[in-house]
Amino acid sequence: MIDNIIHAAIVMTTPVLLAALGGLVNRVGGLVNIGLDSMMLAGALIGLMLASQTGSWPSALAGAALVGGLLGLLMSLCVTRLQADEIIVGLGFNIAVAGLVRFFLKSAYGSSGTLSLPDVARLPKIDIPGIADVPLLGAIVSGHDPLTWAAWILVPVTAWFLKETRAGLRLRAAGAAPQAARALGLSPLNIRDASTVFAGAMSGLAGAFLSIGVVGIFNEGITAGRGFIALAAFYFGRNRPWLTAACALLFGFFDAFQIRLQGRGVPAELVQTLPYAMVIVVLTAMALSARRRKLRGA
Amino acid sequence: MSVTRRFGSVVANDSIDFRAQRGTVHAIVGGNGAGKSTLMRILQGMDRPDEGVVLVDGFPTVFFGPADAFDRGIGMVHQEFMLVPGLSLLENLVLAHEPMLGLDRIDRTRALDAAHALEAQAGVTLDWDLAVEDAPVHVRQILEILRLLYRGADVLILDEPTAVLAPAQVRELIVLLRKLRDEGRTILFISHKLDEVLAVADDITVLRGGKVVGSLPAAQADKAKLAEMMIGEILARPQARPGAVGRPVLNLVSVTASDSRGRAGLSGFDLTVHAGEIVGIAGVAGNGQDELVAAVTGLSRTDCGSIRLGDVDVTRLSLRERRALGLAFLSPDRAGEGLCLQATIAENTISGHHRRDEFSAGGTLKRGVIARHVEALLDRYAVKRGSSTLPAASLSGGNQQRVAVARELYGNPNILVACQPTRGVDIRGIAFIHQCLLDYRDRGGAVLLVSEELDELVTLSDRIIVIYDGRVTGEVRRGSAEIDEIGRMMLGQAAA
Repeated sequence: MIDNIIHAAIVMTTPVLLAALGGLVNRVGGLVNIGLDSMMLAGALIGLMLASQTGSWPSALAGAALVGGLLGLLMSLCVTRLQADEIIVGLGFNIAVAGLVRFFLKSAYGSSGTLSLPDVARLPKIDIPGIADVPLLGAIVSGHDPLTWAAWILVPVTAWFLKETRAGLRLRAAGAAPQAARALGLSPLNIRDASTVFAGAMSGLAGAFLSIGVVGIFNEGITAGRGFIALAAFYFGRNRPWLTAACALLFGFFDAFQIRLQGRGVPAELVQTLPYAMVIVVLTAMALSARRRKLRGA
Repeated sequence: MSVTRRFGSVVANDSIDFRAQRGTVHAIVGGNGAGKSTLMRILQGMDRPDEGVVLVDGFPTVFFGPADAFDRGIGMVHQEFMLVPGLSLLENLVLAHEPMLGLDRIDRTRALDAAHALEAQAGVTLDWDLAVEDAPVHVRQILEILRLLYRGADVLILDEPTAVLAPAQVRELIVLLRKLRDEGRTILFISHKLDEVLAVADDITVLRGGKVVGSLPAAQADKAKLAEMMIGEILARPQARPGAVGRPVLNLVSVTASDSRGRAGLSGFDLTVHAGEIVGIAGVAGNGQDELVAAVTGLSRTDCGSIRLGDVDVTRLSLRERRALGLAFLSPDRAGEGLCLQATIAENTISGHHRRDEFSAGGTLKRGVIARHVEALLDRYAVKRGSSTLPAASLSGGNQQRVAVARELYGNPNILVACQPTRGVDIRGIAFIHQCLLDYRDRGGAVLLVSEELDELVTLSDRIIVIYDGRVTGEVRRGSAEIDEIGRMMLGQAAA
């Protein structure tokens, strides 16, 4: 029972973590990406279609990342070159992509909202012999797919990237003081565009994880607002990869818990709000205690 | 070998010509609006001359932005530092020119070596791991200078570098600049503080009104001479005015206030303005005028001291409460603060007075009464207008200011704080506004006049208070012979 919840929690963390790491890099570069959810949704659809057509999960992931990255580039150009407001553009992308997806499903497949395709190549599970049967540890490290592994490996890699590399340094400079960066001969807008492309690609992967990693079908509500949860994760993680991952894990845990609670007499719709409500409760409690600590310290 | 930079006929700067020799400190001095900033923007490639060229080492050069100017060895330390918050001092030093290892990693060891070499060269020590926002301001400035050296600049432009420094830090900076000069670098030092200019410069170019007033070696300059070049001659002679002043209407006792950067803007400031007199405030911009106006009007809080309007202590009262006590305020920022340009002329004329019983009843404006009042008032102030229902933006600058003056003087305030009352106003408008202020004074009104126009101060003021660095450095009465001293007092020297 507990093993199941832990395993499911890690599974449900992956999409949020992927998008949150992308959004984090994007925000460090100076753009708060409200449109992560739209890139996730597009990635989920493309991922499923490619997984069915090619029968290869790596090409499905590549296609999802590509589509997410393209949407990211488009959004970034609106903000950096056309001086559009990033909040409005982000909201616009969420609404427009959702509408386009629904239109596409209807016109191409004649289906309303849900797409189920034959021969979908699912993400493989990596069972680690010897550890798989150990209680707790087995649930934590064994039986996960490559994307989950990649997401968690990317946490320290992102921290290292921001701290140690030239690209990371320039990214931070472009986000924190674009004027100063430009005066030094850098191009903050190009850097920002690149970071949004990265955020889009990561969100595309997150979407593909949902469609070919978790359920194997596509639904227009498949992201269930996880792009916004990712936003909350890197906001509360204050741009720190490990803290952001912890926030994503928090959501994943309640998401898994919520699935367990379903069918136990409580209306499913109400139970499904649990992870979102709990994220708000826990993050508020964290913020309050941080403030109290600060007041006492001062 | 010499570095020559010549500006023929720059229109924003009017035909500015000067040359800086390699290996010298060349000071550029001038008051506000003298054209220093435009000149520096051109040298930085942030602006281009309409006419004329910049010569670097004898070659005509066009700069395509700061990075390009930098590639040609010209770097600038801005008043607002160009450092990235959140990055350490070391990261800021090497940003955009990072020494590299494989895997896109920054070679921290080599970066530190370079940093230590620069420290030794400049004779300073810095804590390189400190985040920029935690570093004191003089450290940030040194970092900016070191960064220019790190990137190989051989012409350093420093824009008002001492504005943010304490006296001891100024001395350190001067030592550092001399050292860099002795190594063959060229330094352009922009300032209006003559003591520092004389201490550090080899050559001095004085700008006034966008023109070069003169260039001379520092050895041949002294403060009096520079002050005269900067300020110009004072043409208008004040008329002695007989007439008694009344009771005090504004009284400041040891008021201390901080400026927006948190430094002391006013320190221990005392001032009394009586009914029936115009008190002028003279000083080079940025010596406490803004803080004084903000303190008197209540636009910002003071740190200590007390402010009285008549018999009432208003130190903690808001601008609206102070206005109710008879304060009127003519803002220096006509477009932003003085008027609402999108609103109609009529609305601008009535605003502030609209709560009076004569103009509103039970929260509803009496439109007819207001319209008649506005027309009468605007006619009296000869505001040239199409219709009072047009936006204020439809008026010329001078007529806009007439609207503001009409509004502020309506209802006989006890004191008018007039800040740059004729900025951007044509000659006829200036004469009219001056007459309004004098008439108001003769009716028993009190005026606190803050102006950068020395002629205006001399023409209107019964007393001129000279301020420097947030303190009173002198007071001159109408008709006194000391009027020539104002220029020197504005630059921080006590009256002879």
